Amino acid sequence: MIEANTPLLRLVRTFWPLIILSLALLIIVAIVDFTGDIILAQTLVEGLVRIVIVAALYIFIGNSGIISFGHIGFMMIGAYATAWQTCCPYTREMFMPGLPVYLLNNTHHFIPAILLGGLLAAVAALITGLAIMRLSGIAASIGTFALMMVFYSVYLRWSTWTSGASSVVGLPTTTTPWVGYVYAVITLAAAFLYSRSKWGLALRASRDDEVAARASGVNVFRQRLLAFVVSAFFCGMAGGLFGHFLGMLTVDSFHLSMTFITLSMLVLGGMQSLSGAVVGVVVLSFVIDVLRRLETGVGNFSIPTSSAEVFVGITIILILIFRPSGITGNAEIYWPFKADVSASAAMKRQS
Amino acid sequence: MDYIIQTVISALSFGSFYALGALGIGLLFSVLRLINFAHGDFITIGGFALIVPSSAVVATVLIGGFHPVLLVICVVAIVIIVALLSYFLVFQHVQNSSPATMMIVSFALGYTLQNIILMIYGGRPKAVNIFPELTGQVQISDGVSVQILQLVIIAVTWILLIALVLFLRRTKVGVQMRAAAEDFRMARMLGVNGKSVIALAFILSGLLAGIMALLFVTQTGVLTFRMGTPIMLFFFIATVIGGMGSLVGAVVGGYAVGIVSVVLAAVLPGDIRIFRDALVFLIVIIILLGRPQGLVLTKSAKDRV
Amino acid sequence: MLLSVDNITVHYSRLPALREVSVFVDEGEIVCIVGPNGAGKSTTLLSISGVLNPTSGDITFDGKRINGMSPEAVARAGISQVPEGRHVFTTLNVEENLRIGTSIRQDRSDIEKDFKKVLEIFPVLAERRKQAAGKLSGGEQQMLVIGRALLTSPRIMTIDEPSLGLAPNLVDRVYETLLELRKDRGLTLLIVEQSSERALKSADRLYVLRSGQMQLEGNVADLQDGEKVRQAYFGFEESTTDDDEVAF
Repeated sequence: MIEANTPLLRLVRTFWPLIILSLALLIIVAIVDFTGDIILAQTLVEGLVRIVIVAALYIFIGNSGIISFGHIGFMMIGAYATAWQTCCPYTREMFMPGLPVYLLNNTHHFIPAILLGGLLAAVAALITGLAIMRLSGIAASIGTFALMMVFYSVYLRWSTWTSGASSVVGLPTTTTPWVGYVYAVITLAAAFLYSRSKWGLALRASRDDEVAARASGVNVFRQRLLAFVVSAFFCGMAGGLFGHFLGMLTVDSFHLSMTFITLSMLVLGGMQSLSGAVVGVVVLSFVIDVLRRLETGVGNFSIPTSSAEVFVGITIILILIFRPSGITGNAEIYWPFKADVSASAAMKRQS
Repeated sequence: MDYIIQTVISALSFGSFYALGALGIGLLFSVLRLINFAHGDFITIGGFALIVPSSAVVATVLIGGFHPVLLVICVVAIVIIVALLSYFLVFQHVQNSSPATMMIVSFALGYTLQNIILMIYGGRPKAVNIFPELTGQVQISDGVSVQILQLVIIAVTWILLIALVLFLRRTKVGVQMRAAAEDFRMARMLGVNGKSVIALAFILSGLLAGIMALLFVTQTGVLTFRMGTPIMLFFFIATVIGGMGSLVGAVVGGYAVGIVSVVLAAVLPGDIRIFRDALVFLIVIIILLGRPQGLVLTKSAKDRV
Repeated sequence: MLLSVDNITVHYSRLPALREVSVFVDEGEIVCIVGPNGAGKSTTLLSISGVLNPTSGDITFDGKRINGMSPEAVARAGISQVPEGRHVFTTLNVEENLRIGTSIRQDRSDIEKDFKKVLEIFPVLAERRKQAAGKLSGGEQQMLVIGRALLTSPRIMTIDEPSLGLAPNLVDRVYETLLELRKDRGLTLLIVEQSSERALKSADRLYVLRSGQMQLEGNVADLQDGEKVRQAYFGFEESTTDDDEVAF
């Protein structure tokens, strides 16, 4: 039996969900790295990028209770902003002739580039959020949806900067499993710290009872805006990672499907739990990967194409009918030792 | 002058089409607070119902070759069945969830339907030719000729609108439906059967989707598994602009979107015209901010949004 | 016994709003439930009409168990509710509002007779037959919802705060009408009011509900001095711990 009195243990206990999630991912990454299977590694990187997106979605959706259909727009902004700095030095002018001279002639390292991409997404979120965060309920969700459509339509037509309907190819594929892991853990840590912060607490208070939260002095608009900007920042970074994973970008990939898949992952895991975000991504990514392999055929056996999509769609319908709180039931992973019941109870309350 | 008449007719026909679509969504929102993103896929299903299920490159018409009356009845019936099934299998079980959750469910349903179509029919566009005589031009005065189909769309829309108004005002179930749309719980406490009212809304919504499928396929002559999505987005805009839950609003919103997009296409200079869609969605956001309940104010919409 | 609410407990999400509450109504009676704001009066009525589902306890009507039934089934069984805040269908005209009340009925000729009678009882509704209900005054709307509830041809009518938002003389009119309806058609009434004054004047029996629990029940004749009712209403003699549990 572990006695939970030492400061270190208390710290471990406080950060338990974060620690356990990071360790679990670490083990997965290490195993895949060890096997050296390239296809498996690709699935893994894609999953890690999705963890960044879904954890970022959790920051806003999980804490505010407002379902956003707009965050993939921020991901796209981050992705293209990164590409402007890192993509294909020899053909950049061909793909994106409208870029300013500085960007045409200079290539940044991808780490600061991704950071800047995230920042641009955050700025976009700040400006648009000033308006949209004033809405609440279904109007807010519709507003974010319209926002995604605005970003999408603009980028689709703004071909001198984005290559429009065709792709930008030749991004350095620098998002390795370990890079993905580092970003995933950073995002999880940020999401965890944010939701445990006084801002996260205030926002969740407004999620559970908006009137009561206002009455106790919470500026709901400002708290929502903060969460919106922070989550857009990480979505933007996820966009950068995504581009450097695929090595190419098309505007079309940042539309309804991506919105739906990432939201599905959050819903599947449990919208109001960070652990749920990770669980949702891992489970759904795994299932999709297995089904895709079956679609291409294993031995003589194969299933019809797009089975994976049909499966995802039906799963989400079933989850929302039978278990709207997701796999984790909207709770975080508890301190597994019996030592202190009050701590895990507190954790449960906070989630 | 001729150009103006042509533009007006084209705007009216676009507007009519969007109004029908917005009505299909508004009907469900008014009784269920559901924004049904699968509505576009109901239309897609109506289109694919015309041909023999197969992934072959060349489509073989089945229902599409029937006598016109039978053709219309079959397609509409199929879409209504799909709409009803989606109520009984899916939406009925989430009708107490928040509107945003239901929106995700409808996304999931649309995604599933699209991919089932993809699975059965394959991803390649298929040419289908129904009612070819409607795609011809008709002279309405010297130098002015318009596509017959545009006039048909306007006429069909108004026939359906009048029929719907008569139904909602003159029949017992119609009045019950209006009551349920305004105050669902109170209507049930007075003995109005909630389930049948919602089922009826799905039937009407399916009916509209089926007819729209026919109009749309006649116009484009092509079937693709994603064809419902882009038009659905415009119906959605029209519903939001008009005021969710208000049927009058849906029609007004539909015409507003149709007319605005035709006018924008006509007056905007070329390099801005390409951003038309972005502009339209921007207008949606602005309207949401100014009047979250939409342009046409209803009591129920005010309570709900 | 016509309606019996037997030991029901009702939860809003996880919080109990009613705890083991019982109410009985005999045929032809006027029974009043009074209590302060948030006592659970509306919750009781909404449980009877099938909008809320009790977590335990039974509601029987005419010997048949009705909890768990849908609101429309309860209405069909013969319980008509006039909920708090009137709830007229503002976009429907007066006649259409009244017609909604006949949704559950098949007896065409009787419907027309009842329809005429309701217009006789409330002549103002006859005058405004084709007007949108949203345009009526508060008092007229109250008449409309009572008339509408009558048209379901109920055996018992439950009314939530009929005096809310009405001028005193209008309240008198409403109660006069209700008493007449009882006399003429043997209508049974279960009325919820915030103040006990009106109840002591018009009802046969009285229940006092506070913090989700029944505090007092009795014949109005025995309670006329009002002291007992006041005590039950404000609960001075109650221990505070009990209160805390309910409030939590």
